Amino acid sequence: MTTPVYAVENLIIDLYTPTVSVRAVDGASFEIHPGETLAIVGESGSGKTVMTLGPLGLLPEGVAIDMRGTARADGRDLVAMSQSELSAMRGGEFGVIFQDPMSALNPMLKIGPQLAEQARRHAGLSAADARKEAVSLLARTGIPDPADRYDRYPHELSGGMLQRAMIALALAAKPRVLIADEPTTALDATVQAQILALIRQIQKEDGIAVVLITHDIGAVSVLADRVIVLYAGQIAEEGSAIDVLTRPVHPYTKGLLASVPDFRSEISSGTREIPGLPPNQTKVEPGCRFAERCSIAQPSCLARRPTLLPVGDGSVLHRAACPVVLNAQGVAHQ
Amino acid sequence: MRRMFLRRAGLALFLMLAATALTFAIVTAAPGNVAALIAERAAGAGADGEMIKRIADELGLNDPLPVRYVHWLGKAVAGDLGESLRTGKPMMDEFAERIPVTALLLFGGGVIALVLSIGLGLWGAVSNGGVVDRLLHGAALIGASTPNFFVAAMLVIVFAVGLGWVPSFGASGATSWLLPWFTIALFPASVLARVVRVNLQEAMSRPFATTGFAKGLSRRGVLLREALPNIAVPFITTFGAQFTLMIIGAIVVERVFGLNGVGAFFIEAIRFRDFVGMQAVLTLFVVFFVSVNLFVDLIAMFADPRLRRARRA
Ligand SMILES: Nc1ncnc2c1ncn2[C@@H]1O[C@H](COP(=O)(O)OP(=O)(O)OP(=O)(O)O)[C@@H](O)[C@H]1O
Ligand SMILES: [Mg+2]
Repeated sequence: MTTPVYAVENLIIDLYTPTVSVRAVDGASFEIHPGETLAIVGESGSGKTVMTLGPLGLLPEGVAIDMRGTARADGRDLVAMSQSELSAMRGGEFGVIFQDPMSALNPMLKIGPQLAEQARRHAGLSAADARKEAVSLLARTGIPDPADRYDRYPHELSGGMLQRAMIALALAAKPRVLIADEPTTALDATVQAQILALIRQIQKEDGIAVVLITHDIGAVSVLADRVIVLYAGQIAEEGSAIDVLTRPVHPYTKGLLASVPDFRSEISSGTREIPGLPPNQTKVEPGCRFAERCSIAQPSCLARRPTLLPVGDGSVLHRAACPVVLNAQGVAHQ
Repeated sequence: MRRMFLRRAGLALFLMLAATALTFAIVTAAPGNVAALIAERAAGAGADGEMIKRIADELGLNDPLPVRYVHWLGKAVAGDLGESLRTGKPMMDEFAERIPVTALLLFGGGVIALVLSIGLGLWGAVSNGGVVDRLLHGAALIGASTPNFFVAAMLVIVFAVGLGWVPSFGASGATSWLLPWFTIALFPASVLARVVRVNLQEAMSRPFATTGFAKGLSRRGVLLREALPNIAVPFITTFGAQFTLMIIGAIVVERVFGLNGVGAFFIEAIRFRDFVGMQAVLTLFVVFFVSVNLFVDLIAMFADPRLRRARRA
């Protein structure tokens, strides 16, 4: 197989603020290859953002971060990189779009020149060519009248248009990985579908890797090749989108899918919330993090931390971290 | 924009009227008899009750306060602020001589405060909690809590008396302005440096800063390109407020450094109970306050594209 464009292994990320310390990511691994779309799902606070953006140094200032494990982009070690190498990596290999384009785009800067600058820096274009490139990027992301929008400020565009501009900005330096952190959460329902279609189209045309962080199971089913289900900084289940969505194994995944309205799945009989709240991630305890909310938890669940093991449904990629279910299915584990 | 401007200008006019009326009332109510003062100055010890009464009648000093204010206002609008009771010269002539001195003091101090505060605020943000940041924080606290006269004394002792680099007194050449400028700039520079530093920090924790990092900018790049433009409005507003306050500083600084400006004149006016002079200077201060604020509001509106759009609507 090719070198993954982005991969982390046994990643542990502790966050420290003056008041709290949190183990936001607790031994997670993932990798993504060119042309692939990886969805990361999980409740709010499960560590989706920290896991994907943390190794790139893209967490907000004011949080001290302690990272262990390995993180590589295109085989290059992100952990060992100098600040300037990491900056170059962020500006070249990765494009990022965020949840709320209104706050993620600088209110004091015009949209177009930012795109032009990215294109310029990446491809060494002349000012005039960079402007053309920026306008064509705006056109490509479906922004009507792009030459006019070039000189607009963020507040002059609607949320959907802004998210398109954000996507254009992320693409301007021709990245190999596009990270979309809940790209549709802040948008109107009608616009959501358009933005997802745009991401899909770009992914197809450019063959780039897409990491899609989302709460939207519908989006996962449409876009994703593979899915990671994150719970309290740990991976509960992972596998192909079809496997995870139609044959979920982990009780948390089942609960998550059941809590989605009108998602076709044999488990869902109406919408149900997962009872209880995510655990307090300030203390790191042994055992399964989900045990206290789990309907099939056994005393042994609290004793040992479950590891990800193949589910045994014929797909080696489909793995879950729940010995109770796997035992019941007769899957041997060590 | 036009309507907004007219509204601001109208408000400014109203503020000027209210403030001059208030100062007029206060100055008039202050102890001391203008007519007696004038009579004394004209006739020396020979001023008698009758003369005083005649002068008071001539000047309309026995009219009710509102009438006198309107009278004063009418002349002021026509450019006549009366004659100083102390020097006997028309206040407009006094101002023509002294405003340039004060203006130069404020302008130089303002430029120094502007440059220092942005430079040091940025430097602190680049250092971000490092030694430089903490030293600058401490320096700003000291700078904002040391009174003008003390700063002036220290600067004079070190640079004029000790090192002999600059004159300690009077306006004689470019170097003579350095000490007054730095003295008057110290307080606003300290306050503004903190404003820059704190607002930069706040901007750096906003999502658009993360976008800046994602674009591939270095931290310094994000500070300059993304964060700095975003502090424009709070900075301009605070700068305006600090700049108007510098006129208060000018009263002390002009006196200490022997500059013949409006501030020094004001102190003399108080000492000689020169009510006409006091009222004229206070009026000038009011006009200065109000017009600087108006100007600053307009600049802030232009600095922020979101406010700028309001003018198109
Ligand atoms: N800036 C921060 N300061 C303090 N704690 C943080 C910060 N960012 C994240 N955390 C903590 O790290 C953990 C993981 O957060 P993260 O943002 O990765 O979750 P998420 O899955 O992306 O959630 P959401 O769906 O709400 O975006 C949470 O416990 C959160 O409280
Ligand atoms: Mg998140």
